[in-house]
Amino acid sequence: MNDAFEKDCLEILAEKARRGGVSRRQFGQLAAIALGGAPLALRSTGARAADKQLVLVNWGGDAIKAYDQAYGQPFFKATGIEVKEDGTGPTEGAITAQFKSGRPTWDLVDADPFSAITLGKQGMIEPIDYKIVDKSKMRKGFGWDYAASTYFFSYVIAYDAQKFASDPPKGMADFFDVKKYPGKRSLYKWGAGMWEAALLADGVAPDKLYPLDLKRAHDKLAAFKPNVVSYWGGGAASQQVLLSGDASMAIIWSTRASILDHDSNGQIKFIWDQGLISPGALAVIKNNPGGKEAAMQFIASTSDPQKQLVMFNLLGQGPANPATDALIPADQRKNNPVDAANFSKQVALDMPWYSENYSAALDAYTKIISA
Amino acid sequence: MIQRPGPVALVLAGLVCAFMLAPLLAVVPISFTPARFLTMPNGHLSLIHYRELIDDPDWGRSILLSLRIGGVASAIATALALAFSLGVWMIQPRFAALMVGFVLLPMIAPPIVSAMTLYFFLTSLSEVSSAIGYDTWFGVAIAHVVMITPFAVVMILVALSQLDRRIDLAARGLGASALQRVFRVILPNIRFGVMMAALMAFFLSWEEIGVTLFITSVNAITLPRLMWMGVHDNIDPAVAAISVVLIVITTLALSGRMLLQREEPA
Amino acid sequence: MRSRRLTAVSSFASVGATEGDAGRIASIERTARGQGGRRSDNALLTGVCLMAPLLLFLAFVYVVPFLGVAAWSVTLPKPGLGQYERLVADPLFFSVFVRTFRVCLVVTALSVAAAYAIAYVWVRGTRLQRRLVEFCILIPFWISILTRAFGWLALLSNRGLVNTWLEAAGLITAPLPLAYNEFSVILGITHVLTPFAVFPLASSMRAVDERVLLAARGLGASRLRIFWRVFMPMTASGVVGAALIVFVFTLGFFVTPAILGGGRSIMAAELVWLRMFQSPDWGLGAAISVVLVALVGALMAALFRLARPALMGGSR
Repeated sequence: MNDAFEKDCLEILAEKARRGGVSRRQFGQLAAIALGGAPLALRSTGARAADKQLVLVNWGGDAIKAYDQAYGQPFFKATGIEVKEDGTGPTEGAITAQFKSGRPTWDLVDADPFSAITLGKQGMIEPIDYKIVDKSKMRKGFGWDYAASTYFFSYVIAYDAQKFASDPPKGMADFFDVKKYPGKRSLYKWGAGMWEAALLADGVAPDKLYPLDLKRAHDKLAAFKPNVVSYWGGGAASQQVLLSGDASMAIIWSTRASILDHDSNGQIKFIWDQGLISPGALAVIKNNPGGKEAAMQFIASTSDPQKQLVMFNLLGQGPANPATDALIPADQRKNNPVDAANFSKQVALDMPWYSENYSAALDAYTKIISA
Repeated sequence: MIQRPGPVALVLAGLVCAFMLAPLLAVVPISFTPARFLTMPNGHLSLIHYRELIDDPDWGRSILLSLRIGGVASAIATALALAFSLGVWMIQPRFAALMVGFVLLPMIAPPIVSAMTLYFFLTSLSEVSSAIGYDTWFGVAIAHVVMITPFAVVMILVALSQLDRRIDLAARGLGASALQRVFRVILPNIRFGVMMAALMAFFLSWEEIGVTLFITSVNAITLPRLMWMGVHDNIDPAVAAISVVLIVITTLALSGRMLLQREEPA
Repeated sequence: MRSRRLTAVSSFASVGATEGDAGRIASIERTARGQGGRRSDNALLTGVCLMAPLLLFLAFVYVVPFLGVAAWSVTLPKPGLGQYERLVADPLFFSVFVRTFRVCLVVTALSVAAAYAIAYVWVRGTRLQRRLVEFCILIPFWISILTRAFGWLALLSNRGLVNTWLEAAGLITAPLPLAYNEFSVILGITHVLTPFAVFPLASSMRAVDERVLLAARGLGASRLRIFWRVFMPMTASGVVGAALIVFVFTLGFFVTPAILGGGRSIMAAELVWLRMFQSPDWGLGAAISVVLVALVGALMAALFRLARPALMGGSR
């Protein structure tokens, strides 16, 4: 328990004891609890600016330890502010609920930049203070009003290497071709990247993708439905469907794919060709408990190439700071989505487009896949 | 003298039991996999996930927290449900259906809506004291009580429905006060039902994830919450190891009880 | 003096009443009511005091905030019934509801039937049978829903145990599609809910008066007849309670269907999640919830009316 709260408690107890509300023995017991700080009971949660702590909400799993190791611990050593990771997954609605409650308990969120843009326009996100956060350490074109570019990942084609060893798929057209590459497929449940995949397979040139021709994409997806065994909603499900052999190919996150390649001993491989680069970002919720300045300082600290290297090693995240690329050993570069060689084969998702159109597109997409 | 179940009943029950145990065929092997994700071990067995349960304090902490919350929530929920059901049964008020419906609302509403409702309630409660609101064990316990009590009410109403009302009338006729009727006549006869309600309440709290997910953050991490954090990324096979450990403990407890009671008549 | 009489009365349940008692009880009832005044006021007061805590607690902690959330359906994004109009016109909404109710009915039927078989042995079996069944009921609780879902995937998927065995036994040539569809969803949910259904069933089976069954046997009825015509009706309230619990529980499931359904069978609970969190439209999410609550509330009201004698009676 922290000092101010303890002091409060003791004062209240003393007052009650004086007025005879609490017997002396009880007072002693209660005081002992207050001072001893019973581990799980009466733990105060920090929703006051004086607390030296920041709560960072990301998507859980391996990311919790990774963020702590790469960013959290160094920040604590440098500033004395503790960073705690919450793996709930900061969906747009969850952030909205936090803000609307009037006392958010989340400080930083690993949110989709387009969500940050949408929520920022509604006044729920703190604009990034680019006086503290250094925009020059981000790649050109990434770094938005309401979100700071912190990493990259891609939607890539992962395939059963035992089945397709001799002739691996080379792009979206191959992915959608079940004659040449038999077996079922798995796609992302929440739509992002899938429209682009369908359009690329249908023959649209990568530089002519946006604005997306949703009708064309949805028609192709609807026609392709019988070949899809499942639409995965999270990383765990995406790797399960490949490992179990239910899908011979799936479009999954590159971060998962690179770990899968390693963990499955090459049983599942992936290609960068026609991958869809998605930027990851950190945003700060307005009125965050830890204070705006501390949050911005934390974001600024994430642009350190050494730290981003740790995140690459642990999670396979593409670094936001171009200076980090040079630090990655040559044999690991194949896992970096934004490495020059890999970047050129891919297409970047357009964040402003998503900010405007994601909701309606996802609606239509959901109708198709669940009908 | 009870007539024992015949062969048909035993076969059916046996099939259902086999069905109940089926997932163990996957869960037990998975707990021994050397891989970092959920997969069957291909020949190699490893204890790394069991080691992790000991090494990583988060698992032990969350199990203890779930036990504590489960105990508190099921006790309060059962008590509240018992009181309410007794009241309804005894005085049979005119709008009984409406009141029962009112009480069952948390059960009927979609869990997401319950989650949001309780989230807003608990964050308001945090303004009173941050030790009992959002992201505290007590807050979670309150939320669980809200979600569990409707089920307990249904359970106890079922138990009461089997009670012969005439014994209550007889007691009344003999001059018993309402409280005496409750404690001396009614309760002893629904004891099994109340126990079942309490047990069910505990397990409902133990498994609860929908609401718990939104009312906790970094402090009050229950076991389901801890497991859930892997679903977006990678589920740690340690979750399978936990299940095996808990099952082994339960098996030992049940076998121990069986051995100890061997001397009693069947 | 009085306490001994009370104890005697309380064990009346196991002794049971005879024909002649009915008349005696009726006269006691009349006397008790006639005595009125202090005694029935006492009962009323106690009853109200018993009911009040839960009602007040829920009103304060849940119902009031819930109404606030429900109000979003008519206030967001602007006041009016616009959200409900959208629902009626929305094809996704309708198909999701149909699927959800279908799954709920199937799961309820399966779970209650399975739980009935188990509860029967649990309450009436020999010591050994009871212990074994107890073991099988308790074990699943220690496997979390998440673990179970992935466990089922491991069993049912193309390279899973079931398909591997069937192929090894020569019964099939290609793997059966057992996972990522409605079949696995129903299987998964049934597995989770059957133990929960056992509780109310066991409770009502326990209270069955054994001597009635003995009387039936003495009258020459066959085992099957006794079970079907005598035992089952006496456990009706347990069946109703179990069905209610399972049905409503299934309605709120989103973990198991999300993982086992492969994203293709979206159910109502997940739809609400989608509308509240993934692509938020709180007004619409609230409207869906209100409709769900209204539908289920209506179902339950109908059920309660049908089952009222069974639930509130005893013997009237």
